[in-house]
Amino acid sequence: MSHSDTIPLHASSQSDIDEIENLINASVQSGPATVLPARPPSPPRIPVSSSPFIPSNLPPLPSTHQKPSFVPSVPSAPPPPPVNSHSSIGASGFGSPPNTLTEPVWETVKRDLSRIVSNLKLVVFPNPYREDPGKALRDWDLWGPFFFIVFLGLTLSWSASVKKSEVFAVAFALLAAGAVILTLNVLLLGGHIIFFQSLSLLGYCLFPLDIGAVICMLKDNVIIKVAVVCVTLAWSSWAAYPFMSSAVNPRRKALALYPVFLMYVSVGFLIIAID
Amino acid sequence: MEESHSNLPTSHLLGSVPAVVSEEKSNITYEVPEANMQTFLSNNNGGGSSRGYQTLRSPPEGFEQQPPNNWKGVFSVSSYTQYFNVDTDVVINRMMSSFYPVGGDFFSKIDANPDLYGLVWISTTLVFVLASLGNCATYLMQKHTDSSASWSFDVGYVNVAACAIYGYAIVVPLAFYFLLQYLGTTASLIRFWCMWGYSLFIFILSSILLVIPVEILHWIIILAAGIDSACFVAVNLKSCIEGNDLTIVVFAAFFLQLALAIFIKAWFFP
Repeated sequence: MSHSDTIPLHASSQSDIDEIENLINASVQSGPATVLPARPPSPPRIPVSSSPFIPSNLPPLPSTHQKPSFVPSVPSAPPPPPVNSHSSIGASGFGSPPNTLTEPVWETVKRDLSRIVSNLKLVVFPNPYREDPGKALRDWDLWGPFFFIVFLGLTLSWSASVKKSEVFAVAFALLAAGAVILTLNVLLLGGHIIFFQSLSLLGYCLFPLDIGAVICMLKDNVIIKVAVVCVTLAWSSWAAYPFMSSAVNPRRKALALYPVFLMYVSVGFLIIAID
Repeated sequence: MEESHSNLPTSHLLGSVPAVVSEEKSNITYEVPEANMQTFLSNNNGGGSSRGYQTLRSPPEGFEQQPPNNWKGVFSVSSYTQYFNVDTDVVINRMMSSFYPVGGDFFSKIDANPDLYGLVWISTTLVFVLASLGNCATYLMQKHTDSSASWSFDVGYVNVAACAIYGYAIVVPLAFYFLLQYLGTTASLIRFWCMWGYSLFIFILSSILLVIPVEILHWIIILAAGIDSACFVAVNLKSCIEGNDLTIVVFAAFFLQLALAIFIKAWFFP
């Protein structure tokens, strides 16, 4: 494999390559179409030779206890591949991609859905990794946020009695542009976040407001609406707080958090006010 | 490449990649005060102060057609971080000082470190407050006169508020900047944007009070807020122009701010 001598591999990339090699061997031996089970930390399914060159999905882990483990694993990786999988790479050099390209669409959808659910559980529900922005959403994706934003726009548009398309436009523009602007705000204040990871996280934190919007659509009482929106707003803000506050200098924490709060309050107001 | 990252002060943020790497490197080289292109940039960025203001006027030293601030191009985020280099207490201090119409010391306060954070987020907050509380106040006023009125949320308020507030906050300082440049005085666009941005803060608080559905109270509150804000703008503009015979410009600024206040009252809180 040509990649192993140019760039030192990330530890999980190395394990992915090992897994893919095992599957290639298994597929050569046991026949076609053993579908890979969904494994959230692995990079997107692309041809084997180029997968380590895309680090954007996974933040690098320069932790010292990792280094001694993958340095010996890199020299040990080249000897096994030429021995037993040169022929198998040649024979089924397209062994891994066809497993994802020719798998049924339902498998792909199921894999993406499971990734969305696992990201949701990490972000919105209490878990031990909340305080660490690197771990909290390591395998970010933009499908989840897209679904939640569109769903919220559709729910608000459905609840509105007049100017439905304008309501959808306002909600969608507010959320999409708002996520981008909030991320830019943190970057401009000198904070450290990954742009798309932050977009993804702000999208996932909309999930409680989605639930609130559905409840408000079903129950038309103002008191209930206000109570539900307050609860879900607090939940959304609680979900977004550790990520945003750890990304900037502590003296500027309020400057970074206030716009997030403003965006969720305005969405909450839209939910209450739409009749 | 990971090794150099572990030496940076942000290495405690394990697992997160610093979004803008070049900033970190220029911060590291800050301690060496030589006439080095990179250090000059970082000195300007980190040290700021009046040197930074004057070098906006003086010809650049050391490199050709670039302005000697940390400008890395229009599309690079790091070129704009110099305008957001403020802490929470600084922002709150500037917001509080926008309440006092006399004093005229706002420009000296922001001279070293003008920020655009106030402009962006105060105007955005004002748009949201006008759209939301405007709807509430319209409903309450209708309820007052005709008790069978029902709540209807007019999304058009958001559009009008956004166009009006963003348009005012961006275009008016720009117009005054060009006007003063044409008339011969030096002016700094960033400082004008900063001042006009903070001058809008009082309208947020007055909008909250304007929900009370009493007509006469509306007029009292909005005139008080409008005059306060207009005096703030006028006095500070006068201190910036320093003595040239440009009182007409100062009056124009005063009346524009007052016109904005009356427009807010007339459109959103009828």
